[in-house]
Amino acid sequence: MGLQREMQYRANFWVQLLNSAIALGTGIAAIAIVYLHTDTLAGWSSVELVTVLGVHLMVGGFLRTFVFPNMYRLMMDVEEGTLDYTLTRPADSQLLVSVREVEMWSLIDVVSGLGALVWAATRLADRLGPAHYLAFLLAVVCGSAILYCIWLIAATLAFKVVRVDNVMQMLSGVFEAGRWPVGVYPRWLRTGLTFVVPLAFAVTVPAETISGRVDWPWLAAAVAAATVALVAARLVWLWGIRNYSGASA
Amino acid sequence: MDAPVVASGLTKTFKVPVRQGGLKESVKSLFRREFRLVEAVKDVSFEIGAGEIVGFLGPNGAGKTTTIKMLTGLLHPTAGDARVLGYQPWKRDKDLLRRIALVMGQRNNLQWDLPAEDSFLLNKAIYGVPDSVYRRRIDEFAQRLEVTHLLDKPIRNLSLGERMKMEIIAAMLHGPEVVFLDEPTIGLDVTMQRRVRQFVLDMNKEEGVTVLLTSHYMADVSAMAERVVVISQGSLLYDGALAGLAERFSSHKTIRVDTTDLPADLSGLGRVLERTPERVTLEVERDRVSEVASRLLAAATVTDLAIEEPPLEDVIERVFTQSR
Repeated sequence: MGLQREMQYRANFWVQLLNSAIALGTGIAAIAIVYLHTDTLAGWSSVELVTVLGVHLMVGGFLRTFVFPNMYRLMMDVEEGTLDYTLTRPADSQLLVSVREVEMWSLIDVVSGLGALVWAATRLADRLGPAHYLAFLLAVVCGSAILYCIWLIAATLAFKVVRVDNVMQMLSGVFEAGRWPVGVYPRWLRTGLTFVVPLAFAVTVPAETISGRVDWPWLAAAVAAATVALVAARLVWLWGIRNYSGASA
Repeated sequence: MDAPVVASGLTKTFKVPVRQGGLKESVKSLFRREFRLVEAVKDVSFEIGAGEIVGFLGPNGAGKTTTIKMLTGLLHPTAGDARVLGYQPWKRDKDLLRRIALVMGQRNNLQWDLPAEDSFLLNKAIYGVPDSVYRRRIDEFAQRLEVTHLLDKPIRNLSLGERMKMEIIAAMLHGPEVVFLDEPTIGLDVTMQRRVRQFVLDMNKEEGVTVLLTSHYMADVSAMAERVVVISQGSLLYDGALAGLAERFSSHKTIRVDTTDLPADLSGLGRVLERTPERVTLEVERDRVSEVASRLLAAATVTDLAIEEPPLEDVIERVFTQSR
């Protein structure tokens, strides 16, 4: 649906491509500059840090492709009362509101993130076995699921307060902090980033696994956190639609 | 079989934040909000039988939409119960949702940038409509509503009336047994209204679809519904035949006499609404109608005499103003 609509605006493709290139370029430049002054950053070498950048771009691309547009649409629907229609359909409402929109061009970010990862992975190939790739895949899926849940929960707040743009903006800001491994931040902030917005799970843990440093307890924690997040998002969603009164006409 | 729609003692109370104007009050409300309880729907009970079309009338803010939202599972009632096709609607059972439809004239359901047919396909997938049934219904519905040539145009390029027709097609695609129409003809021109009405009537007759309809256009109601349920300020005022509405709420009938030789003074008979040399229209109390009619016939050479209920619009207006 969203896909067909996006095709109507082909100019977006080029703009998005440029955006993505700039994001990747400045990211790599920043890493290059940092490593002019030091060999490791919180225990990460420069190549390893490219994996962080890659995961960040890829997961960010996923958010921009699937999560943000749907959550934005959800907010608008709550505001305009058109969510009524979604809720009178015989399909799971959470699923329905989560898959209506696709911002296709943001997939370019996923591709360029993947590109950065492939480049880094070939450089680190001697450390990586099939287990690493599998662990990486698992970590990325868990991380993305966690982020989806956080955004869904935030958007569900729209049922109560109608406008939650600010919350969304703030979350996006925090996600930007995931450009760097959480280890570089001071301890108090790290705790916040891990547990309030589980950036560590979404970006740092996958990057670690693809750098050949699988931290099994952390990976297990990521799986647990993803499970908890999915359950929590589900409960909050059900609570939300129970409380939804709709914009009265 | 039980009636497809049963509301028993439906009540919905909203908690509405109260805030006085002014900066000080706004700041205060950030910390402590005061609430006021608004009873949108109070103890409303009615039943709709299978294959019936019932008009749901009431002034703005009477609680019509709130009631419909409870019946379609969008709102939990504060008290009371409702059954639609045997289900409590707010449990939102998928089997129930597959068998009902909701059309709201003031809200868009179809994807703005896409042709209607794409939205129909989405519905087809969600409701699991088989290909052959889907094709047959689209062709038939589009033909009846005269929108076949518009199916591949993006919704945003359609007129309000064309859009509404598409909304109705979308709502009927899965062959719902109960349809809730909330002001389906709002903002449409007379031809469009008539077409939509006819379509609803056909669906009712041919497929036995049960319809609950709200509208501010009396023409809609009198063309489609034989029975009406009237609510005002959340309470049920009337439930019965449309024809009985006038009897109940209007204490007068009108008598129209075509004659040329009536006496000038008619004050003993009724209130004169209109008088021309050839015709007099009188408003007469309901229980004096036959007496007045015979006196008129005795007093003059009458070429024609008609006793009529007052126009529905006037009755409804009276109902609404009385209940305030």
